[in-house]
Amino acid sequence: MRITDQVARGAALTIFVDGEPIGGFAGETVAAVMTAAGRRRFRIDAHGCARGLYCNMGTCCECMVRLDDGRGIAVRACLLPAEEGLRIATGQPLS
Amino acid sequence: MGRTDVLIVGGGLVGCATAFHLARAGLSVLVAEAGDVNAVASGQNAGSLHFQMERRFLEQGDAVMAQAARVIRLNRRAIDEWRGLEALLGTPLGVAMNGGLMVAETPEQVDLLDRKARLEEAAGMATRLIDGGQARDRAPYLGPQVAAALWAPDEGHADPKKVTPAFAAAAVHEGARIVSHSPVRGLRKVAGGFEAQCGALHVRADRVVIAAGAWIATIGAMLNLHLPVFPLGLTMNVTERCAPFIPHLVQHVGRRLSMKQAGAGNVLIGGGWPSRLAQRADGTGFDLSRPPAPIAGSIAGNLAAATDIVPRVAGLNLVRTWTGTVAVSSDQLPVVGEVPRMRGVYVAGGGSAFTLGPTFARLLADTIVEGRDAGDLADFSPARYEHLNSFMG
Repeated sequence: MRITDQVARGAALTIFVDGEPIGGFAGETVAAVMTAAGRRRFRIDAHGCARGLYCNMGTCCECMVRLDDGRGIAVRACLLPAEEGLRIATGQPLS
Repeated sequence: MGRTDVLIVGGGLVGCATAFHLARAGLSVLVAEAGDVNAVASGQNAGSLHFQMERRFLEQGDAVMAQAARVIRLNRRAIDEWRGLEALLGTPLGVAMNGGLMVAETPEQVDLLDRKARLEEAAGMATRLIDGGQARDRAPYLGPQVAAALWAPDEGHADPKKVTPAFAAAAVHEGARIVSHSPVRGLRKVAGGFEAQCGALHVRADRVVIAAGAWIATIGAMLNLHLPVFPLGLTMNVTERCAPFIPHLVQHVGRRLSMKQAGAGNVLIGGGWPSRLAQRADGTGFDLSRPPAPIAGSIAGNLAAATDIVPRVAGLNLVRTWTGTVAVSSDQLPVVGEVPRMRGVYVAGGGSAFTLGPTFARLLADTIVEGRDAGDLADFSPARYEHLNSFMG
């Protein structure tokens, strides 16, 4: 859900989360795009349980996802600006 | 007024472990902790089990280096102590002892490693100098800059969040009493013993063990004694978790670096980089009640050393930096034993007190219970500060 009244947004874009296209807008973080789309699972913990967005400011690292670009670098979804065509993977085991 | 055989000031690793051994021997023990058990150095350090001579002893010239070789006798005892600790306390402590490497990059550093190895050999510590290729065979994660390493087969790490609480629980199980948020005030010598206010408790004790880490000097001052142990602020860094790839403890002979991978997969990076101790508002000295402030250059320097030696960590996220307060004696050597100027007062601390803490505690408890000669502790007795305390007490 997004506020629509009296809000100026950036250009519409699409990111891919676990291969699934999700719409968002320039200026939003990956965490914001995912949350607006109802995707609440970001990483999995040592016990295999799903973990979700918590501090939303780069401190807790609960929203760690991986760039799905062959390198698999872990990034904090709450700090990563959404870009057109960005591909990320959630719930990945340790690299 | 309560009474106890032994009042232990400080609920850190040394205090809780000493309480365990004393209570097990049948003495009544009260541990007075000013804040929370395991809240300062015992729980803030990175859990290195380093048994080869530490880099900090190599910075001050050959005389200090030779003097520090005496610590190796304690280190050898500590190896056995840690090998048996999980069984002794009956709980997992994250103890991993897969060996450690102290690395060198330059010819000067290789030479220093070589001299260090000979001192260690003379002191009965089995370390082995290997070249860069051999080091990478053993530890493929090491980068091409590593020119040589000193291998110590017993080194490793343990979990500081588990060790002291396990000792505290075991001490309580043996009958010791531990009171938190009970700072010691008005500690004084009285006929035949000592009296102190510990939070709400007024206590009389036959003996006092000062195991207060960075507050050792402050507690000593209450007894009109000089115990020259100084607080230092340090810096630690930790990366995100990743699959196990560093099974060893990694240290550097010429740069401040210690690295290990915790059981959960995080890489812990430290090695003695400073943070800034808080100051009292009125300018009268350090304020140890507040955490030290991080120093950006320490974080950058620490991480640069880490990525130079283990290049793969450059691809990991730094998830947290923290500061901690530790305590080191004026001559860097541990201070463990009875204060000759005031019988019945014992001190334990002064450096390396995670690796050596359980050993300090066992030896000190033996000294107290059996009243015998300190043996392996003789080199570390506070007797060496009697030139200060002959005017005190």
